[in-house]
Amino acid sequence: MPDEESQLDEASAEEQKGAETPAEKPSEKAPAEASADPPTADQSEEEEADAKPRPPAGGIADLLAEALPDVKLEAYQGMTDVIVEVERDDIMKIMPVVKDDPRLDLKFLRCLFGVDHEDEGLEVVYQLLSLEKGHDVVIKTRLPKDDAHVASVTSVWKAANWHERETRDMFGIMFDDHPHLVPLLLPEDMTDHFPLRKDNPLAEIEEWQGDELPEEGFGGAAKRR
Amino acid sequence: MVQEQQLETVDINVNMGPQHPSTHGVFRMVLTIDGERVVDVEPHIGYMHRGAEKLSENMDYRAAIGFQDRTDYLAQFLNEQAYCMAVEKLLELAVPERTEYIRVILCELNRITSHFMFLGAFGIDLGYFGTSFTYGFRERERIQDIFEEVTGERMMYGYFRPGGLAWDVPDNFVQMIRDVLPHARQGLNDLDVLMTQNEIVAARTKGIGAMSAEDSVNWGLSGPMLRAAGIDWDLRKDKPYSIYDRFDYDIPVGSHGDVFDRYLVRLEEARQSIRIVEQALDQLPDGPIMPEKMPRRLRGPEAEVYAAVEGPRGEYGIYIVSKGGDKPYRLKIRPPSFCNLSALRDMTVGNYVADAVAILGSIDIVLCDVDR
Repeated sequence: MPDEESQLDEASAEEQKGAETPAEKPSEKAPAEASADPPTADQSEEEEADAKPRPPAGGIADLLAEALPDVKLEAYQGMTDVIVEVERDDIMKIMPVVKDDPRLDLKFLRCLFGVDHEDEGLEVVYQLLSLEKGHDVVIKTRLPKDDAHVASVTSVWKAANWHERETRDMFGIMFDDHPHLVPLLLPEDMTDHFPLRKDNPLAEIEEWQGDELPEEGFGGAAKRR
Repeated sequence: MVQEQQLETVDINVNMGPQHPSTHGVFRMVLTIDGERVVDVEPHIGYMHRGAEKLSENMDYRAAIGFQDRTDYLAQFLNEQAYCMAVEKLLELAVPERTEYIRVILCELNRITSHFMFLGAFGIDLGYFGTSFTYGFRERERIQDIFEEVTGERMMYGYFRPGGLAWDVPDNFVQMIRDVLPHARQGLNDLDVLMTQNEIVAARTKGIGAMSAEDSVNWGLSGPMLRAAGIDWDLRKDKPYSIYDRFDYDIPVGSHGDVFDRYLVRLEEARQSIRIVEQALDQLPDGPIMPEKMPRRLRGPEAEVYAAVEGPRGEYGIYIVSKGGDKPYRLKIRPPSFCNLSALRDMTVGNYVADAVAILGSIDIVLCDVDR
């Protein structure tokens, strides 16, 4: 099948691209290094597991690093957005700054949601946008499954209120200091079951017709009754 | 000497919904009222929650298109567009020129039908009863007929595919739309004449449910709700996607952020959509509707993408987390109605009970979009 092959080619090309541009903290990166030579073979092999393309120089990732000099930020270029991974405990240090800093001006919370990475814990994703400057960024943080707590950002963006309630419903992530963290989309008593977690697979589709179907078909079953 | 009796005033809880004609679907809100004033609102949603996100995780990229029609069921083409754009970004598919044009034409017509629905229902919320609804639906029906002719469906189109379209449009596609546009324009004028200058509408809507520009941004409002507050933000202009940079049209912006401005913005937006459709029909090229090399199974790389469209209710976005394979690992829908509705309490408290209905109507919610 030629089309499947081309798909494979694309995938390997993507991998190659990723390997050539290893992840690096934005604070360590000068604009001159943006077009640095690809690393040697053994280097790329070493970093293959978590090789991520760097964000464009002078972009939102650099502005974030500038505004938040003493916070650990791990920025890389995603397929469509710049993604910044942060520590969970830093959330309330970061969020008020990114909203109010005039260089960033990320006043619009597009969306907030959770992702279940199974063994690698849960993740909370904040999609931020600046209507004035037109730039956007995705901020992420990881939480361990047995201690799924993170500070609520409702005091920064009111929009987070319902998003956080929904995320609690679906993933069981507790948002500390949320003003009203009760079930939103799910029934009020459904507080111990988190449907969007990966350990809640969809039920099998029942095939009731199987071996209970009489030999002669439906007509026969109706007659017997 | 008569002792003055100590009378107690009690706040009353009034339950509205889930089955109530003015809640536009299965939505319940508990109003706490002091006389005729609303002092608190507690919205209850989730009656229509079907787990579209979870179901999408268990289906391959083509199969999950159907859920997009069923979220915001008044803007199906726009939702399909957002979903297909997200998958196309993930798989790096190039969409043929003709497909882009057909998508834009259908999406803008869809925006017009959605706004007709709003204008008709809005009149009912304000007590017009039949007139505005008849005006709105008469014209909406003509456009609906075109959709039926093109897709074979009246509501759940399922017409867009990652990379292209399910099939090409019928031969009389351009002529059909050219015939319908004057009617649509006339319908908008009729509603304009009926409502804009009407004193009762003005009394019921001006200054009601106003939200400042700053609050609107903080609450994450989008679409006409945000623009009514005076913020000129439209994804079609500010983050151009598809081929929207090729057309000449204006973005209407309000100034007060009240119910009346939201109505005006939607009315004008529908007119601008007619302009876009006219230009797109003039430019519609011939050619294929699917990319030449289309993989039989859609397999995404390990990546994350976000794609959003400016729907009639606001930014409708799809965030896909892919870990390889033919299914999304996580698919998140950013529902515009959900975000807009979350600000209901701030807009309603302090107003009269009767205005609560007008405010809820002005948000133009679709409950299937809120609950997914």
